[in-house]
Amino acid sequence: MTTEPEEWVENVRMLTESAGAIVPVDGDLSRVRSQRWVEPGFSRKVWASVVDMGWLGIQVKEESGGLGLGVRETVALAQVLGQGLVPEPVLPAWLAMQLAENAGFDAELEATLSGELLMVPAWQASPAGLDPHTGITVSNGRLSGSRTAVCGATGADLFVVTTTAGLALLPRDAKGLSMTTLAMHDGTFQAQLDFDEVVCELRPCHDIASALDTAMVLHGGYLLGVSERAFEITLDYLRIRRQFDVAIGSFQALQHRATDIKVQLELARAAINAAAAKIDLGQDGTHCSLAVLRARTRAAALARQVAREVVQMHGAIGCTDEADIGLFVRKAMSEAGQFAPEHALRKQFLTLRENPIGNSLLDSSARDHVPTDSLEPAHSTLIGACS
Amino acid sequence: MKTPDTIETPPFLADHPPHPDFNAMSDVGFRELVREFVSSHYPDIPRFAQRRLRWPEVKPWYARLARCGWLAPTWPQALGGMGLDATRHLILIEEFERYGCARIHDIGTVMLGPLLMQYGSSEQQDHYLPRILQGEDIWAQGYSEPGAGSDLAALRTTAIRDGDEWVIDGQKTWVTLGADANQVFVLARTDATVKKQAGISFLLAPMDAPGVTVRPIENLEGHAEFCEIFFDAVRIPLGNIVGEVNQGWTMAKALLGHERVFIGAPRLSASALARLEALARKNGLWNDPAFGDRFAALAMDLGDLNDLFESYMDRLRRGEVIGPDVGVLKIFQSELYQRISEELMQVAGSLAGVRLDDDGDRRHDAAGTYLAARPTTIFGGSTEIMRNVLARYSLDLPA
Repeated sequence: MTTEPEEWVENVRMLTESAGAIVPVDGDLSRVRSQRWVEPGFSRKVWASVVDMGWLGIQVKEESGGLGLGVRETVALAQVLGQGLVPEPVLPAWLAMQLAENAGFDAELEATLSGELLMVPAWQASPAGLDPHTGITVSNGRLSGSRTAVCGATGADLFVVTTTAGLALLPRDAKGLSMTTLAMHDGTFQAQLDFDEVVCELRPCHDIASALDTAMVLHGGYLLGVSERAFEITLDYLRIRRQFDVAIGSFQALQHRATDIKVQLELARAAINAAAAKIDLGQDGTHCSLAVLRARTRAAALARQVAREVVQMHGAIGCTDEADIGLFVRKAMSEAGQFAPEHALRKQFLTLRENPIGNSLLDSSARDHVPTDSLEPAHSTLIGACS
Repeated sequence: MKTPDTIETPPFLADHPPHPDFNAMSDVGFRELVREFVSSHYPDIPRFAQRRLRWPEVKPWYARLARCGWLAPTWPQALGGMGLDATRHLILIEEFERYGCARIHDIGTVMLGPLLMQYGSSEQQDHYLPRILQGEDIWAQGYSEPGAGSDLAALRTTAIRDGDEWVIDGQKTWVTLGADANQVFVLARTDATVKKQAGISFLLAPMDAPGVTVRPIENLEGHAEFCEIFFDAVRIPLGNIVGEVNQGWTMAKALLGHERVFIGAPRLSASALARLEALARKNGLWNDPAFGDRFAALAMDLGDLNDLFESYMDRLRRGEVIGPDVGVLKIFQSELYQRISEELMQVAGSLAGVRLDDDGDRRHDAAGTYLAARPTTIFGGSTEIMRNVLARYSLDLPA
């Protein structure tokens, strides 16, 4: 791997600086707070800014009107969105657009990039299921079944529905589609979609799994951002809150728990960046998926750990709705389980590690260090001469 | 570098062809080179040894490395090293591990050599560096004392100037492979009137000097890997000080920082996890879903540690100075190693306590791994001290 400063590093710098337009630099969360539990759970005005800044098309190819940037850049932006608890469904839209692009829904993609339409993905059959193909049956061009945990559904115009037979784009007022809204603890809404013989146009989508992989890394980045900011706020509190005439941050019990979070934060950061780089560098599917599962699991576990520790470290004020730290706790509760909870991700990891798909390499992290005696003869003249 | 006349014919050194620029080779090419090297040069001594081999056992490997110029991977080629950058060095370590090469007595090449290059006089460099490369001097590290472990700066061994000599009195302990060494470097108090860190000097003493006594200490695994060293009015020349008088603490800290990156390398956890998988398969637990969940968690931890270690290596490659946050790496690696070793004990069941002799099948050794994992959260800065340092200097929490 090269050691030169790379283009993506500069891209990340520019992107995160531009994020100040939506995520207040001073950490003010009053906008986010006011948005809670008011449908659609986010601001149309802020969404327009997201569109204006070109963030929606960050991964879309330049010839299709996007920025054509990689996962490493996008994950950095997701991290900033997490730091600001941004409720707009940017991450769901990214996945929807990647799927739509893969399946060649060009007109809808263009309308989404211009802000005319908002599309979100509907891929999950059950709350812990990672298989985007189950839960829907298609016969005679009619689609039946259901999708759960559809994020941003309350403000969406189009649903990108995954099925065994391909991808369908359904407008929210499609005949036979019913939506049950679920209010989340963070003030956003998700939805359960039920399909009863909905007429649809299905198009083959060549790579739903890898689009999900990318989405999971990005969501890991969002969770990392949520955790980072919650931790920063809490460290500040530990430095100023005084009891027994000293700052409580001087207590070793709290210091050691804070360092536990620091360890998990750095692991999550490393795993997320490594997984993003693997996808950008085009490593094979299984290799990427194993790294993605690790990164996503670490990020979820981190968010949960941070959520419970920051409440405890804040004491009673941490249990009030008034304190901003609670907004982070609610966000972690609502987001950590998205895609699938950690036990399901571990199961998937083990399965994939045992049965790599196709002709792929094993996850180097798991297998690189197993002793092996197989050696290719090489350089024998160079090293033979000293014996 | 010139060779002083006082050096006798080197016991190990023979002419090896000049080294190529290893750093200009591709990663894959260099890895192949190292694999070929170990397979053709590793002598008939144990591989995958769970314990540190003693000097008579490891000497053939040390000699072979010395003859080939492979003893000091990170030293500059001009000083007899291989001149490897961090990436190549890591590849070399990985391939040595993969083959199960015994760890040599490396205090001289890893600790003292780099210290002398940075702080030593040219006379000290000319005298000591070739003797390390030739296996004439085997060094031991005299840091810890019975009353100075985590609080190293509280050390009480004294060195008092008497004419043109230092007189050392005191006791050092937990000296790894001290019984095999003929030289020891000693942190000693040279000024008791100042702040404890400010009155410490770094001295070099031959182990055969009158007044030096060595007592081996048997560890939990039953090996005499470390020992105590007693100094009773031991006289050494004034010139046997590295750096300035009372500058010892600064130098000792500089050495520890570097050490912690490499203590954080995933290799110990990786080999323990491979052992766990082998034992679980052997004991019929591999397809147990409860075990599978725990194994997956450990395997994922190892993968994440690998990514974290790589991110530190990237920072080293970019020439960044690694600050106190390196503790993150050391804490997680050592605790992961212990968690894997604890799972090994679970999987081993009734036979977890079996004590293998030296020829036993190490691939399934639960107890040996468990015991080997214990000191990793203690040496090089205990986990608790690392957390204190992280909280204070990385998280900026109040004292």
